[in-house]
Amino acid sequence: MTEPLITTPLRERAAQALGDRFLHEALDIATTRFIALRRDAFGDFPEGEALRDRARAIKEATLQRLDAHLETLVANIERLGGHVHFATTAEEAREIVLDIARRTGARMAVKSKSMATEEIHLNDALQAIGVTPVETDLGEYIIQLAHERPSHIIAPAIHKTKGQVAELFSRELRRPGLPADPEVLTKIAREELREKFLTADLGITGANFAVADTGTVVLVTNEGNGRMVTSLPRVHVAVMGVEKVIPSMTDLAVFLAILAKSATGQKLSVYTTLVQGPRRPGELEGPDEFHLVLLDNGRVAQLAGPLRESLYCLRCGACLNVCPVYRQIGGHAYGYTYPGPIGILLTAMLNGPASVRDLSHASSLCGACADACPVRIDIPRMLIELRREVNVRGIAPRSERIVFKALARLLRSPTLYRLAARIGRAAQRPFVSDGRIRALPSFFGEWTKTRDLPSIAARTFQERWRDLS
Amino acid sequence: MTSHRLGPEDGASSSRRAGARTTKAEFLARVRGEMAKTPGLFVAAPAERPAQPRQRLELLRRELSERWPQTLERFRAEFERVAGVFHRVPTAADVPAALERICRERGARRVVSWPSEELGVALAPVLSAAGIAVESMPRAVPPDAERLRIRAAVAEADVGVTGADLAVAETGTLVLVAAAGRPRSTSLLPPCHVAIFDRTVLVESLEQVGLALEAWHEGPAPPERGAVINFITGPSRTADIELTLTRGVHGPKEIHALFVDGGLGLHG
Repeated sequence: MTEPLITTPLRERAAQALGDRFLHEALDIATTRFIALRRDAFGDFPEGEALRDRARAIKEATLQRLDAHLETLVANIERLGGHVHFATTAEEAREIVLDIARRTGARMAVKSKSMATEEIHLNDALQAIGVTPVETDLGEYIIQLAHERPSHIIAPAIHKTKGQVAELFSRELRRPGLPADPEVLTKIAREELREKFLTADLGITGANFAVADTGTVVLVTNEGNGRMVTSLPRVHVAVMGVEKVIPSMTDLAVFLAILAKSATGQKLSVYTTLVQGPRRPGELEGPDEFHLVLLDNGRVAQLAGPLRESLYCLRCGACLNVCPVYRQIGGHAYGYTYPGPIGILLTAMLNGPASVRDLSHASSLCGACADACPVRIDIPRMLIELRREVNVRGIAPRSERIVFKALARLLRSPTLYRLAARIGRAAQRPFVSDGRIRALPSFFGEWTKTRDLPSIAARTFQERWRDLS
Repeated sequence: MTSHRLGPEDGASSSRRAGARTTKAEFLARVRGEMAKTPGLFVAAPAERPAQPRQRLELLRRELSERWPQTLERFRAEFERVAGVFHRVPTAADVPAALERICRERGARRVVSWPSEELGVALAPVLSAAGIAVESMPRAVPPDAERLRIRAAVAEADVGVTGADLAVAETGTLVLVAAAGRPRSTSLLPPCHVAIFDRTVLVESLEQVGLALEAWHEGPAPPERGAVINFITGPSRTADIELTLTRGVHGPKEIHALFVDGGLGLHG
């Protein structure tokens, strides 16, 4: 298992998030802005819809020949003088990176934001062997200093105020009295991290794509830290899920045209860096060693599994911003590395269905995520499958399984359904006021604790329909 | 739905000996094994690679050379939209004076630059006369100590001057291919980056960039080619503190595009 199971119930985690007024406001502002930026970006881009279809087709086609594309990628990277490693589990991926760190005598590793390295919890492992990992994306740097975890895939520190960041920098960087001014704080981070870039031995990144045809690892950043990390240290290690491979440069152009628009509403992120192995003979700069760690960690099993389509994911964060649940509770409440609608699927992929017992219900199934997804992943369909799985495997609480079973019987039989409606109408009478049920006794009270239930109508639709015909 | 397929207990992990590493053959065999179990897939194809991309790119360049003024106008609009500063000079001979002005306005005293052979124009005479130090990047790789000194000099410089391999109108992007004499850090470490280019590098769209990338990778790479290609779209930026847009977080705070109408005489 990649990550330990979270034992605090989701309800408690969510309640905590809902009680945090700043978080709530910050989430609202951030997600609303991201939604508008994305909408405007695609609004100005009529070919966007067709490109999304193409991108989806490329992802599907690539998975259908994944072995061949991986083989080509590996051959090309080796031809360019790079090394490729194969990690079946998170633990193996960590060990591979640690071995490289040990062998090269690394003391400090600068990292460019990477969900894959978050997923395998690489930082703690590096720390344990005496290599200091330094996150260099500003948001990640902030939360690393604060010993917290990212709350959003692309804006990891949206839950912190500028006042909190000023306080944090003043304390942790021993620069007392810093003002709550993003401009000043960014400049401080630039100075601190510039020195790290120039002295670190090891550069660690993820990868947004890898182009099989040419052996190219592609990194997309806005800050330029991806460029620093891949150019200044002696050794560069990229950790990448196997599903990130794409066949050709022509395909890459399709993805670049939709990725940033979906994530931040930019036509293109500031820096797109195509890395092709270590420094070449005539080059002034660049690492002497280049390593790619290909990560399975539950992905390969889904090639033929129910979550296959989530292997299309580009990690743009668009589904988080539009999700009514994410917008209320934010990333931390999900508990695992990947938050939001796609995060639930990825959590199940990496950690097994037990990890999503509650999370699989943290969705209204409204479909906004599927609409926003640049590669049109049918997230709601897979969430329903996960709920089924959690139920069928007996992971769900007994009470829930019994209710579902009863409900299924009821909904399949018109006679039973009619009968139940009649009984329900009579039984609800003491609890109804203004057409709503606000509190129910005992076991049923779990439902009404946090929400109202509309009462069963005086006459059901079926009854009215019968009268009409 | 195959309910037994979800979850790590189905993975190869449990059967592995502790400490043993997955080999390439094992890894790919597992991928193949799972692929074979995949039922009822829909027909999908990746984007079709252009046949003979070099030839196609040459054709495209010829086409583009007939409508470059529109392409340049669009590039300028998009480049300015991403907070780039656009300059235009009539001939290569006007470039050093334009650069001197950029430096003077910013109080810049130290410039690092790609060598004049790579830029298609010599900067040092005019800039030095104005009291601005210009360090030209070497075309051959010097010994390690010298490499370190150069890196420190680049990190201390006020302005970095490069050429560009493509200027993309759709997005206001400059594409720089690292090579001998065209190092990566010139456009990264100094707080201000100036890219000098002419009409021959203008393309209209990301799709055309895709074609150029295919063409550059057709056949073996030329020996001087570096290991990195960078797309640069505006100055380095972040919005990680309360979504406040801030420039120059790691890379340059400013980016300038200096377009030379009369051409740089680089491309034959």
